[in-house]
Amino acid sequence: MTHPIDRRRLLTAAVLGGAGVVGATAFGSLAPEAAFAADDLTAQAGLADPNFAEGIITGITGGVLAVTGSDNVLYRIRVTDATSIWKLRPTTLDRVAVGDGLYARGARLGDGTLAADAVWVNIVNLHAHIRGIGRTALNLDHRGQPILAHVVPGVTAASYNGTPAVADLSLLRVGRHVQVLGAWHPGSNEIDIATVYAAAN
Amino acid sequence: MVLWVAALQPLLIGAVLLYSSAVKLAPRRSHPPARGTALARLVGERRAAWALRLVGVVELGLGAALVLPPALPAEPVAATALALGFLGYLGYARVVVPDSSCGCMSTRRTPVSWRSFARGGLMLGGAALAVTATTSWVDAVGTRPVAGTALLLAEAAAVIAFSPELDAWWLLPLRRLRIRLSHPLAGTGRLAGLPLDSSVDQMQHSAAYRSVAHLLRSDVVEHWDEGDWRILVYSARYGARATTAVFAVPRLRYEPQAVRVALVDDQTGAAVDPPDPGTLDRNTYRHSTFHEGALADLTLRTGPLGEAVRGDAPLSGATAGMPGPGPVNVG
Repeated sequence: MTHPIDRRRLLTAAVLGGAGVVGATAFGSLAPEAAFAADDLTAQAGLADPNFAEGIITGITGGVLAVTGSDNVLYRIRVTDATSIWKLRPTTLDRVAVGDGLYARGARLGDGTLAADAVWVNIVNLHAHIRGIGRTALNLDHRGQPILAHVVPGVTAASYNGTPAVADLSLLRVGRHVQVLGAWHPGSNEIDIATVYAAAN
Repeated sequence: MVLWVAALQPLLIGAVLLYSSAVKLAPRRSHPPARGTALARLVGERRAAWALRLVGVVELGLGAALVLPPALPAEPVAATALALGFLGYLGYARVVVPDSSCGCMSTRRTPVSWRSFARGGLMLGGAALAVTATTSWVDAVGTRPVAGTALLLAEAAAVIAFSPELDAWWLLPLRRLRIRLSHPLAGTGRLAGLPLDSSVDQMQHSAAYRSVAHLLRSDVVEHWDEGDWRILVYSARYGARATTAVFAVPRLRYEPQAVRVALVDDQTGAAVDPPDPGTLDRNTYRHSTFHEGALADLTLRTGPLGEAVRGDAPLSGATAGMPGPGPVNVG
């Protein structure tokens, strides 16, 4: 692996240099048979998707996460440089801790390890009502349960009426319904908000 | 003085019981009020609705007896017994079915909290005090009408404050008013920069994304800003080659057609040459939307971990409301 700064420079040059302008069909045929020929679909009806894992992290050894699924299935998940890790924002493996929950998607290797393409840590997706708004957090009511949803400066964004997200949260109203994507604080009823979807008028 | 206060209590307790019975006995087309309450656990799901109605009838009878003359000594005794039973029920709900709804004064799902216990304690205290009364509330109000009205209003306010079910009457309007006067989160837009989600949204609406969506394997691996551009990096697989997909998204303007993409080979660091540009027509676009649907899970950033928090966030809700790659309209 090259140095991170060199790598960024290389990738920036690749996309912003002359060769980076690519038409919509530059990467091959868009016919469906071409797309489905590329990957074998290994999921079978009625069985768990072998390329997906979820659960609580019980150990981290090198680049391998030991995970206990909510149905007590044990997973080993290998994280590589090409794996995307989300924990409120795109991040790296050293930010992931034992006790975190995760969803992972990738390809199952011969030894049963899941080589992860993407890992989402502590991600939650809640439909709730706003009970109160403070300077640093929203008080949400999720089916009668209180949830403290922290606003993280620089990260928390709002999408109003389905438009692209903005950082301005001042259109949120008490009593309104919202959908919140965020990162759970393990063992609590608190989350950090990534994006809150709301109606504004 | 104590006797005068005690004589007023039957009116308050009677009024609360009448309101509570009205909630339980009012005909409803949907949402059986007993569902989700601890009562359903206590007497069984099938009998819960009838048990709740029975409690409502008892409350109606006792409430009416307390409010209407004559003031019999047995009435506050019965009210004390009912308040004790109610507190016991709350304790049972709290210990055995902590997630259950109280089912007390609203059909809205309201978990048992310290406020429910405070209200129960208030009712118990009032009923116990009323046992010592020697006159009816009508006489007590008649002797000191202003003080009596003020005391009853204060007690009613305490009952309302301790009723989570009634927050929608006063607490939410108060908070709405406060936020209209001064929104605590005003100014968040000025401090923070452009959210990553906004760039991802713009990218997902671009032709460049549609051309490589079926190759992407990961979510955003990293991102940074480069002048007027935001660079988004994804892992991709092109045939058997591990590659990196790099998107350049206009940072401060919404112009999805300006989004650029390049594939870089992870081994050689060289840009991957597109083999066959092909032609762009209406049909190929329609196919490309189909690919996005099939592979949406690769690029989705919204897998729910609701189970970890509450155990009930629906998996199918992952994409609900998310402005993902919508259908493509081509001229």
